[in-house]
Amino acid sequence: MNSPLSIIISREYLERVKRKSFIISTLLVPVFMVALMVAPAALMLLSEPETKAVSVIDQTGKIAQRLHGNGEVTFATSGAQLDSLRQNHDVDVIIVAEADAIDRPQTAITVYSRGSLGIATDSYITSQLNRAIEDVRLDAYNMGNIRQILREVEVDCSYPAIRLDREDESASSSAVSYGIAMFLDMLLYMFILIYGQMVMNSIIEEKNNRVLELVVSSVKPKTLMLGKILGIGSVAITQIIIWAVIIGACTIWVTPLMGEAVASDPETMAMFSQLSDGSFLASLLVYTLLFFIGGYLFYSAIYAAIASAVDNIQDAGQLSSVATIPVILGVVASMSVINNPASTLAVWVSIIPFTSPMAMMARLPFGVPFWQIAVSMAVLYASFMFLIWLCAKIYRVGIFMYGKKPTLLEIIKWAKYK
Amino acid sequence: MDHILQAHDICKNFVGHTALDNVSVDIPRGKVYGLLGPNGAGKTTLIRIINHITAPDSGTVTFNGHRLTAADVPNIGYLPEERGLYKKMKVGEQALFFARLKGLSKADATKSLREWFDKLQISDWWDKKVEELSKGMAQKVQFIVTVLHKPELLIFDEPFSGFDPINAAVLKREILELRDKGTTIIFSTHNMGSVEELCDCITLINRSRNILSGGLHSIREQFAGHNYEFTFIGNPDMLAGALNPFGSNFTLGAIDADGNATATITCADSQAARPMLAAANEAVDIRAFRRIMPSMDQIFISAVESYNSSNPAKQ
Repeated sequence: MNSPLSIIISREYLERVKRKSFIISTLLVPVFMVALMVAPAALMLLSEPETKAVSVIDQTGKIAQRLHGNGEVTFATSGAQLDSLRQNHDVDVIIVAEADAIDRPQTAITVYSRGSLGIATDSYITSQLNRAIEDVRLDAYNMGNIRQILREVEVDCSYPAIRLDREDESASSSAVSYGIAMFLDMLLYMFILIYGQMVMNSIIEEKNNRVLELVVSSVKPKTLMLGKILGIGSVAITQIIIWAVIIGACTIWVTPLMGEAVASDPETMAMFSQLSDGSFLASLLVYTLLFFIGGYLFYSAIYAAIASAVDNIQDAGQLSSVATIPVILGVVASMSVINNPASTLAVWVSIIPFTSPMAMMARLPFGVPFWQIAVSMAVLYASFMFLIWLCAKIYRVGIFMYGKKPTLLEIIKWAKYK
Repeated sequence: MDHILQAHDICKNFVGHTALDNVSVDIPRGKVYGLLGPNGAGKTTLIRIINHITAPDSGTVTFNGHRLTAADVPNIGYLPEERGLYKKMKVGEQALFFARLKGLSKADATKSLREWFDKLQISDWWDKKVEELSKGMAQKVQFIVTVLHKPELLIFDEPFSGFDPINAAVLKREILELRDKGTTIIFSTHNMGSVEELCDCITLINRSRNILSGGLHSIREQFAGHNYEFTFIGNPDMLAGALNPFGSNFTLGAIDADGNATATITCADSQAARPMLAAANEAVDIRAFRRIMPSMDQIFISAVESYNSSNPAKQ
């Protein structure tokens, strides 16, 4: 534990972990996240479902009895006139079906409502009207067993999707893969933005504190950069582990409250069953972790290079879009990659190091040929090493240029200086 | 002479600006070497090159007989002019961090840090945060961090800025003690008083060039001329008459409370001193006689001005 690298890592790590702001944010963020998860469910449980009273003025005499209410809508046939119903504030919705409503429903049916109906209620009323009119029309054909025939020909086609390129032929649900991919992408995006900028700020802070010449006369810039990136990376891992534990614990505590909502959701259940597939999960986990770490390393090195080239946080703010834009591009590209994980575009964006971590997050849950994973990872980690080397050079030249930007020639010359 | 460090023919250009133009310095081992020069002359750039922070465009730096490499950096202690500390860290932790970066083990570093903290009477700062310290207090910590790992060569860039006279004296004492133990010290400053007190040799850099180099005594000798001062009791006119054949510019000073008068005279060469003193002795009561040596301030100004007037600035 006495190499300069480990000393820098431990300083970066301990300095951050001991700060009050770290402790507070580490404890508060999961609370907010759990609150976000629970709030909608809790609100639904607490608030009484609102029932819309619908009065139907049915001049056909055939529609009203075929409308069936649910929890949110109740239908009632009314003999009253429209004008008098309008005065009745117990009635939320009035449906007027004129005599020729069966033949020309588009023009002969009018719906009046007090305030906005809401999408769910609106579509429910529409579907009830459609069904009722269809029913009346079917009756008009007078075919005795037509309903039974219709029931018999109805199909619900849900099929098991089996991967030909996998030896174990495990079934994979693309909905679950999609979910995992989106989740991982968002997580990586946040991770890079939060902790990459932390690396940037840490380097700029040293410049502002005038401490950097003391540091640079004790340690190589490359070691300093690497130490900062790894130290802050460890902070990130610590924070995420704590978050995971807290969120996990809260979820277990909260689940009974949400109870049925989760258990009855078939997609959620499918996700859980998918996740219990051991070998798939293990390789997914390992590769995901490697790309996650690689993505952090690559982008934090870019942030470090930006910080090396500027003197203050204002200049850095403008330059940091150099890092932010590719991250966003990567996330956007992976949206299209998710839809077509084996396309040529997908292969390329998952090899270019700027987008590869995000693209691979998107592709991995669908399964990626091993050679592509190997090439992508090699390119990513090699780029990281190159960037660290480069930004150590920029750092060294950047500090001592009296605020002038280093030229490419100078960076090359520096690279040769032993 | 044994040189710990030799920098030869160093050139360094920044965009549109030459920082060092063919500068050579030879730093003798075990001496305090003053690096002087007006603001922006290139001193700090030279120090950074010696310290392996910046590379020269051309020229060689030799350390202990071999080419300076990154591996020599641990043998050099550098107190930069632009210095700061991590604000949020505690003093002791921070000193320990830098000491360990220089390669000391945690136990060794703690032990010698405690000794130095005691020596400079700052032991009770160990658990304070740096942001609570004054500038001078932080400087003491930085000084300790610089010398703690006992490097062969120490480089101090304006070490006394921010210090009160008492603490500056403490620091000077420590610097001389380090020299007496065999450490070589490069010392860059604008404070000529401290140069006279501390330096054995100096180099004066002006407009990116080394315009004056050598031992402090020989340089003062070189700039001294043949000016002499008499402190005497007696008739000034008698003295003036007696000295007339030996020199020019006879100037009479004020008479102090005890009746001592002073007079100065400029001679053509040092040959005149002995017969002049004999003649003066006949004329008045001589209390003191000395050759007037120029102060470093005067040498600095006259060297820089004569260089600048004979080399008008390029546009």
